[in-house]
Amino acid sequence: MMHEIGIAASVLDVVRAEVAMRPGTRAMVVGLRIGELAGVDPESLRFGFEALVKDSDLDPLQLQVDYLAGREDLDVAWIELEEP
Amino acid sequence: MTPRVVPVETKVLNENQRIAAELRERFARAGTLVVNLISSPGSGKTRLLERTLELLVEDRQSCLSGQAGLPVLHGTRAAVLTGDIQTDADATRLARFGFPVRQITTGGTCHLDAKMIERHLEGWNLDELDLLFIENVGNLVCPSSYDLGEEAKIVLLSVTEGEEKPLKYPSIFFKSKLILITKVDLLPYVPFQFELAVENARRINADAQIIGVSCQSDEGLREWLHWLGQRICSQARPHGSERLELADAPGSALR
Repeated sequence: MMHEIGIAASVLDVVRAEVAMRPGTRAMVVGLRIGELAGVDPESLRFGFEALVKDSDLDPLQLQVDYLAGREDLDVAWIELEEP
Repeated sequence: MTPRVVPVETKVLNENQRIAAELRERFARAGTLVVNLISSPGSGKTRLLERTLELLVEDRQSCLSGQAGLPVLHGTRAAVLTGDIQTDADATRLARFGFPVRQITTGGTCHLDAKMIERHLEGWNLDELDLLFIENVGNLVCPSSYDLGEEAKIVLLSVTEGEEKPLKYPSIFFKSKLILITKVDLLPYVPFQFELAVENARRINADAQIIGVSCQSDEGLREWLHWLGQRICSQARPHGSERLELADAPGSALR
């Protein structure tokens, strides 16, 4: 579990960096690709993600997970941004 | 306000990956073989390291006395970074053999990451090390996600656990180059089916080498030392490789 919170924090770091590169935008959804062999439990990750996002600068960022059998991906694939 | 989806394609553990790549380059430049030992708590990581270091010391002595009797890694200069959530008990156990040992106490974190390795290498001259063992925190899940810059992950599974472990924890079995089935001296007393465990491991990882070992009977340790020795030789810088010689001397104490 500890592990997934660390992973969730790293995801938020990636999101913050992407938003910082595009001033004025706001991240609404982040899309992750998680392979079955990545050693990450998507449910625990979601729990950690929601706990970290709540009341943070990224609230109400949503998480969407694409879980892939037989692979070891652990990537931030895309972010949905809201633009002015 | 219009939503727009932008592709990012960034590894979540990008920062860990970056430090691990730097470490890997340092290890290659120094000619240091680095292996990352991963298992559940109690599978025998520390015991395997104790016996391995002990054999390196015995080998050193037997070379000095001219009675080489082990699969020898002549003059291998080893060191250990050992990770635990609390206590320095393992470092104390491992320091008895005269090789440099450092404890990494994670204070709650369930795995080692590349930054911890980088920090704990400070002050060690890698040029003076042929072999660095990293003993990860006892855990089959989290450590599999973190690259530490190692040449190989090694997973240990003891015969007092279940044969289905490779299927339950596929990530670490998939990512390991060597699978050690430990405590095989207990096979007559436990229901563990060795062949079934091997078959399950093969379903996840067809390429990994699998060795059954026991630090009580020394079974399989010759093969284990060979596995290490071959990799130390290929990791060693060309001008330094004459130091190391892998050979089986007659009258070996190991089966």
